[in-house]
Amino acid sequence: MTGRVIVITSGKGGVGKTTASANIGTALAKAGNKVVMIDTDLGLRNLDLLLGLENRIVYTIVDVVEERCKLKQALVKDKKNPNLCLLAAAQTRDKSAVTEEQLKDICDKLKKDYDFILVDCPAGIEQGFQNAVAGATEAIVVTTPEMSAVRDADRIIGLLEAKEEIESYRLLLNRVRPNLIKSKDMMSVEDVVEILSADLIGIIPEDTGIITSTNKGEPIVNDEKSLAGRAYMNVARRIMGEDVDFMNLEEETSVVAKFKKFFKGLMGKEK
Amino acid sequence: MKDNIFAELYNKLLGFFRQAEEEESAKDVACNRLRVVLMQDRTNLTPQLLERMRGELVELLSKYLEMDKEALELNLDQEGEQMALMLSIPVIRAKDEEEIEKALAETEKTQEDSEEDAGDDSADDAEDEEEFEEDVDETSENTQTTQSDCVSESKSVKSAEMKFPNKEICGDCRECELSDDIECEKKQQASFKKTTK
Repeated sequence: MTGRVIVITSGKGGVGKTTASANIGTALAKAGNKVVMIDTDLGLRNLDLLLGLENRIVYTIVDVVEERCKLKQALVKDKKNPNLCLLAAAQTRDKSAVTEEQLKDICDKLKKDYDFILVDCPAGIEQGFQNAVAGATEAIVVTTPEMSAVRDADRIIGLLEAKEEIESYRLLLNRVRPNLIKSKDMMSVEDVVEILSADLIGIIPEDTGIITSTNKGEPIVNDEKSLAGRAYMNVARRIMGEDVDFMNLEEETSVVAKFKKFFKGLMGKEK
Repeated sequence: MKDNIFAELYNKLLGFFRQAEEEESAKDVACNRLRVVLMQDRTNLTPQLLERMRGELVELLSKYLEMDKEALELNLDQEGEQMALMLSIPVIRAKDEEEIEKALAETEKTQEDSEEDAGDDSADDAEDEEEFEEDVDETSENTQTTQSDCVSESKSVKSAEMKFPNKEICGDCRECELSDDIECEKKQQASFKKTTK
């Protein structure tokens, strides 16, 4: 088996890299793939929290590199899905504790046993980014329809294009707000795609459910009713090579909005 | 109750017309600003170099025009494969001949001084410069016509667009032939001449 190594990166912090990693990983595993996620954000780990695995971590990637344990020992199995596991980052060390070669080596070893290796990249373009990208052949660039995030994504795309190992990269547009796009207060999906001239892998609507799912330590893809959850499921299917149409967020949300309006109207009349 | 409905209707109508009036939405502003900033990010022209170029342009143009130096805008833009330099200068008024000649005499004077210092090497430069100045005389006429064209947009803002061809042979300077870098001053002048003619 030769697995695909995909790095999830963004440049800017806070655009949803870790949330995207947790959800895409979970979605791929739900679809029957063997998936391992690597958190490379040494010193600022969070992927364990989003997956609800923070209490199960014994060894980290630094322990593997410094040979205090075997690679397999450090992989933490997901609570729900046996196909999914996590290689956590060390919380007490900094980015220099792991080198590019060591990360590449870990990815190469994991490729033999897993279909997908998802690397959650830290924010920034320094060594942490270089490390995370080292073992990958594909990239997902997460961005939001905000100027600073788009600018940073452009920078990241430039750096990815300079890397020979990266065969392809695609754009994940996160936190899209159809109402704001409709009122022309926010850049549309088309605007961002045109400015960055990159292919899209998914459009994720802004969803308050993300907050509750993070709080519970359960990725939102597990909630099939949630719009963001379905959008992430579609991303996973596109990664697997399926041709899935992009959701029309405007329609989807306006139905919800109409329903809410109708309901509020009823309440108002009763009073 | 009725008042409320009317007030709401009025506000909605007002909102509708306001929206129609507004030319640029927040999204458009964001897109345009991003395009400019990404253009700069993608080129190797540092802000310092752009600032220097701006300073030199102001110096040159202020011989012929009285303009709002603070409001001068210099932007790089991408038009397909070609990069374009967008220059927008609010012109207060065009100077009259006397003033222009006075300014030219002054620069010639300073040039002679520098020539003495630099020796023979700068002789060619001086020739170039003279040629250039004649051209710009024509330009000041041209700009006046463009000015009247743009009146509908805003009273005193005119915009000139200069395109930098990728390779331009300019005098004895061979630097620009070797690289596409636009830092070469002569190249800038040469292309400016070309487009404004």
